[in-house]
Amino acid sequence: MSGYIRIEGLHKTFRIKKEKNEVLKGIDLSIEKGDIFGIVGFSGAGKSTLVRCINRLEEPDSGKVWIGDTEITALKKTQLNERRKKIGMIFQQFNLFDSKTVFQNIAYPLKLVKTPKKQIEQKVDKLLELVGLSDKKNAYPGSLSGGQKQRVGIARALANDPDILLSDEATSALDPVSTLSILDLLAKINAELGVTIIMITHELEAAKRICSKVAVLEDGSITECGNTRDIFLDPQSSTGRIFLEVYKEFRDESQFTGGGGI
Amino acid sequence: MSFSRYSFWEVVKHAFSKEVWDTIWPAVWDTLYMVALSAVITLVLGVLLGIGLSVISKEGVKPMPILSGTSGTIVNCLRSLPQMIMIIVTLPLARMILGQSYGVNACIIALAASCIPMYARLVQGAFVEIPKGKIEAAKAMGSSSATIVFRVMLPEAIPSIIRGFTVALIGIISMTALAGSFGAGGIGDIAVRFGFNRFYHDMLIASVLVLIIMVEIVQIAGDLISNLILRRRHLI
Repeated sequence: MSGYIRIEGLHKTFRIKKEKNEVLKGIDLSIEKGDIFGIVGFSGAGKSTLVRCINRLEEPDSGKVWIGDTEITALKKTQLNERRKKIGMIFQQFNLFDSKTVFQNIAYPLKLVKTPKKQIEQKVDKLLELVGLSDKKNAYPGSLSGGQKQRVGIARALANDPDILLSDEATSALDPVSTLSILDLLAKINAELGVTIIMITHELEAAKRICSKVAVLEDGSITECGNTRDIFLDPQSSTGRIFLEVYKEFRDESQFTGGGGI
Repeated sequence: MSFSRYSFWEVVKHAFSKEVWDTIWPAVWDTLYMVALSAVITLVLGVLLGIGLSVISKEGVKPMPILSGTSGTIVNCLRSLPQMIMIIVTLPLARMILGQSYGVNACIIALAASCIPMYARLVQGAFVEIPKGKIEAAKAMGSSSATIVFRVMLPEAIPSIIRGFTVALIGIISMTALAGSFGAGGIGDIAVRFGFNRFYHDMLIASVLVLIIMVEIVQIAGDLISNLILRRRHLI
């Protein structure tokens, strides 16, 4: 395999007392630099665990994760922390720090790498402009809407110029309009900054809108993987088909009610 | 003045007389001194112990099961002693350290031994309440454990830590009153020596009043500060 991010034979089992739950059953995946790579699947398919194994928020039981020439799974804790500074991550629940203003939230990762104060100021301003929140610099996250919070989350994730952005259901808690604007923002970041984005989602619309490649995860295994277009036109796996059917039904219905007027 | 000799209103009126307050005021200062000193000790050591307990707990930033189990048991042992017993138990300790087992300073050891573990548990509770996702976000950005604790968890938990401190402070006030009957002086001493032993019910009323006002001030101030912070953060 030749991708920038390579996952080889990844296994992960959660043990709660005596009950074993095998969440990842040998995942192999290769992701090219500069892609927006979607991982789709139903709840409980293991999407979140998979993406969290990439920056080792979850420790895999076996298998390897490579980013470029670095084997992430072999790094020691301090080395891992260094590498993590260059891997951005955004979350479904945003996970902003309520005790810090928007500015302080975005400055947090910059302070971790001991950026001089002046540069922090400049960088945060630039990021705020990128995500369109310059007027909210001194607001607290508690006063922002969901979409705005996710924009701050994205700015924070991009602060240290990461080469990879992991998105863990970043749009799932948002209303449809905010979802679209966040997706477009992610596409813009990918195009302008060349950041490789790995996004997991259960919303096909989201994957279809911005992903160049998609992998379908079903019960801990990848059932298909390829160009978004191919998978949407001709899904091979059962999850892929069910997904698409539900999606089509939903679309037909919304068109029906939408155009149905009196 | 006792209720048995004078009418109710006469006793109540006399509770506000100069005669009574000439005795009460020095005791108020003794109590305030004890409360303030134990409060500072409890705050500093309680927060540190609370942070330690939550960091090494199973779900903490740096789990250390054996140390966590041991320290948890010690804290529970200290907490299971009623305050009165704690005072009696620490009296020899006070004699060893201070050379005397009575007076204001002697009782501070008992106050600290009783209130630090209690406040530490409240601080630990405040830390547990922080949504796990925020700590994960900090981890994902490459923060060290110390950075997570002091730059993320502590600021996030401050309103709850302040709220917990009002609870601890009120506990300290009630315990200083109790310590009064073990030679610590202060308001509790007045209430027992005059109010109980000599049936000076006017003194008793004045002592009760002082305690109520102290607790009330602490509660109002604590709520005010923590609400101010929460409002600033737009969380209420």
